Amino acid sequence: MKKRILSMGVALGMMASMMVGMTAQAAETWTVTCPWAPSGVAAMVSQQAATKSTEYSDDLILVAEAVKGDAATVNTWVASNQAGDNSLVFAGEGLLSITSLLDPAKLQFDYENFAYVENLYSSIFVLSAEASLGLEGVEALEAYVESGEAISVAVNGATGSEAFLAAALFGAMGAGDQLKLVPYESAAEAAQAVAKGETTFAVSHQSQIQETYQQGDVTIVCAFDESALENGPFAGVEGVGEYGYPYFRNRCFVMAPAGTEEETVTALRTLYDDILADEEVTSWLQDTMLLEVDTMTEEDVKAHIENVKAIVEEYEEIVAG
Amino acid sequence: MLQFIGPAAGLLFTLQNIIWINLGVFIGSVFAAIPGLSVILCVILFLPVTYRLSAIPGMMFLLGIYCAGGYGGSVSAILINTPGTPHAAATMLDGHPLSKQGRTKVALKIALYASTFGGIFSAITLLFLGPQVAQIASQLGTAEYFMVCLFGLTIIAGVSGKSMVKGIISACIGLWISCIGSDPMTSYDRFTFGVPRLYLGLDLAVCLIGLFALVEIMSRAEDKKEVLHVDTRKMKDDGVLTPDEKKRIRLPIFLSSLIGVMVGIIPGTGASEASWFSYNTVKNISKHKEEFGHGSVEGIAAAEAANNAVTGATLIPLLTLGIPGDGTVAIMLSALMINGLNPGLSLFTTDGDIMYAIMLGLILVNVFMLLQGKLLTQLFAKVVLIPKEILTPIIVIFCFAGAYSVNKNYFDVGVTLVFALIAWILRKFDMPAVPILLGMVLGKMTETNFRRALFISDGNPKIFFSSIYCIIFLLLIIVAIGAIVRSKMTENKAANKGE
Amino acid sequence: MKDLIERIDSGFDRISLRLEDKEIQAPVDLIAGILFLLFGVFILAIMPEQVTVSEKDVVNGRAFPTMLMGLLMFCCVLLIGKEVIRIIRKQPLTRKTINLLVEVKALVIFCILLVTFLICKYTGQFVAGAVFCCLGFLIYFRCKKPAYYAITLVLAVAIWAAFRYLLKVNF
Repeated sequence: MKKRILSMGVALGMMASMMVGMTAQAAETWTVTCPWAPSGVAAMVSQQAATKSTEYSDDLILVAEAVKGDAATVNTWVASNQAGDNSLVFAGEGLLSITSLLDPAKLQFDYENFAYVENLYSSIFVLSAEASLGLEGVEALEAYVESGEAISVAVNGATGSEAFLAAALFGAMGAGDQLKLVPYESAAEAAQAVAKGETTFAVSHQSQIQETYQQGDVTIVCAFDESALENGPFAGVEGVGEYGYPYFRNRCFVMAPAGTEEETVTALRTLYDDILADEEVTSWLQDTMLLEVDTMTEEDVKAHIENVKAIVEEYEEIVAG
Repeated sequence: MLQFIGPAAGLLFTLQNIIWINLGVFIGSVFAAIPGLSVILCVILFLPVTYRLSAIPGMMFLLGIYCAGGYGGSVSAILINTPGTPHAAATMLDGHPLSKQGRTKVALKIALYASTFGGIFSAITLLFLGPQVAQIASQLGTAEYFMVCLFGLTIIAGVSGKSMVKGIISACIGLWISCIGSDPMTSYDRFTFGVPRLYLGLDLAVCLIGLFALVEIMSRAEDKKEVLHVDTRKMKDDGVLTPDEKKRIRLPIFLSSLIGVMVGIIPGTGASEASWFSYNTVKNISKHKEEFGHGSVEGIAAAEAANNAVTGATLIPLLTLGIPGDGTVAIMLSALMINGLNPGLSLFTTDGDIMYAIMLGLILVNVFMLLQGKLLTQLFAKVVLIPKEILTPIIVIFCFAGAYSVNKNYFDVGVTLVFALIAWILRKFDMPAVPILLGMVLGKMTETNFRRALFISDGNPKIFFSSIYCIIFLLLIIVAIGAIVRSKMTENKAANKGE
Repeated sequence: MKDLIERIDSGFDRISLRLEDKEIQAPVDLIAGILFLLFGVFILAIMPEQVTVSEKDVVNGRAFPTMLMGLLMFCCVLLIGKEVIRIIRKQPLTRKTINLLVEVKALVIFCILLVTFLICKYTGQFVAGAVFCCLGFLIYFRCKKPAYYAITLVLAVAIWAAFRYLLKVNF
């Protein structure tokens, strides 16, 4: 019996010393919560950043986590985290500019609840249409809208950038009454919906419609940008801005809890900047994810939020119907 | 395809890959056996390990975790009446009763063999029919999804026990629980009572711990003093399946593997749905219906073959269309994309050798799962020999730690206690807890697809009869209901005769 | 320690003896029917407050839970109706024997679980709760083997340590 207890004691002692050793060596782990589907663009970029974090820092390790739920996820995150917690979250103009104006009841937070760390990318959304409609270009879309056909658009989530852009575009074309926004739980599902013919259009990131487009199930009608797309498989697709329709680029801000020490925020920002400057990451973002690296200062971020808010206010009546 | 098989085999059969597969299988089995520690959590935790690996060893490691996770959940379901993962819940219905009869090794063996067959079956389907099957799956829309859910809900009858009315009440409660949190169509909060932690709804794994594990701990109160000190070593458990049992599990394993593949290719559905569908189907066609719920070998085989058959099938839409069928696979998608591989049919021509190496690797993963499982079964079976005085608090600690780990907060641990209390009260009323689980599994999917389908059709219910697939599912529902009515009538007749 | 366990033991024995034969014959179907009917009514009553809907929705967020509660209440009525018919026909109701000793023991177990949870939550030290849980159950099972105490406590600390340091679960 004594032997047993002694050996158990030794084992416990070894385990304790091993763990003390592990804690002494351990770098700080930061959990980065992405409030959208794990298959989404933001979650994958976050995953890539986490992958690279160990290459660029010995003190900070990023761990990517995707909890789809949009506003609900960020509401929960804000309620659960405070300064000092090693936790980061993604937020974009969808939450901070659109939902906050069109449906403030859904949000239990505002910009003041966060400390801005960095913006990872900017993305241009595209509008795709069911292949049988044969729509390519804004003029073809205008003609389609004028014909009075039904318009249903698959979007990722009930509120958010994709839903707003679709509502604003068709609203500005005078088809607000014909428009039906069908929310799906991920961008991949939304992209599939238009290919199946469940909806006539979909708004999605370029990378998420690429495969469906290559299979010939959809056509790309236009991009939500100022001018035609210059790079990637959709180069030459017209931008809605050329025709005076509303647009903005999608951004993805990494946020820490408000009150997080400036020194910590700076260290995190430096880490993200180093990762985003990595050639492998840059080319992956551009070639595979069809995104652009877009680091921003806090002033730029606030300006982006205000800019989108201004667009939302302008189109609020059309969107709200 | 054939031109890729040779180079793919060359890429796959390396010592490095075999080590990573085995590591993944071991980690996945152990993780999934602990209630609360889900496969997805395991994949997230160990993903950084793959950062420095190239695409094939990285994917092999993750696939090892994923497939073994499908099997590992059955271990705790059989041993301690608590499914390690939600998809092992159907296994629990017969696995634990069989273990209680002193046939733990037999139960674990059936689970292992069925899981392996299911896994290999789906891997072969992926290898030979992937793109074709994916095309069919991609035609299923919102209305078809709703019909699948509706078909799934007919399972309630099979797991309701003596009273179907009580089973339906339990299922309604489960379905209602799935409504808690953010409305999937509008994002408005529902039934959150102002509690921020409820915005995201209740986690299935957390509720499962309360409903099955903690209530099982509370049921120790029903043990007589002498039961506590039964020497389980004296129970005969040679782990040998009789020839009759071997014969009886063949058809359920094959049928369930087929069902698992069919369910797995539909994005959004998963191993839980597959195991319930096949459990119910096999029960309906079995000549030994009365054994179900009391240690049926067919029941264990059905549930386990189906939930592992999902693994390869979920990869079909992922690799061919770039659509991840569930959260775990979505993380694998990012692991692929980080390696510069953008899944889709085009990848089969540009990087065919890598794609086929991954698909062949899935077969290898299942083979190693079988080999490791055979060794681990001996070890796992010893759990029942641990005295209850030691085992009980250890289970509780695992459950609390597991519940905490899901969202890293104590609120979830509190939720498990509430669910334990609910399950205890339900027991007092002879109300089954399994339909609650079933309701929670199918609730969100049922409601979302029901509402979205009606939204698309402007409220016209004709949408539910609009395609050939809808009609097929409708026929299946009618057949299922017919079987339920017939079985109830037979039961009533037997009861009347008995009187 | 031994004295303490023996005193607890004898206390348990006295309570057990008093409760062992105390049984209640509860009409479970009738009670379940009424209880869940009230639950359904309650959920329907709080629906407008708890579920915000938009006028634009074809099928709004209340439709599905309302359908569920309707079905639940219908089943409850069936359950109650069946029992009422039995009462009218003067047949025995569906009853279940509730043993008070079992319920008290279940309550004790639940209390161990609850206190474990509260210790974990309010001390922020999962390991403290884990140690309490082990001691609570070992005493509940009237365990007198010191080796069992040692093994269980070592395992409890090991589980905590594995989660804390290997899986990085910060509790």
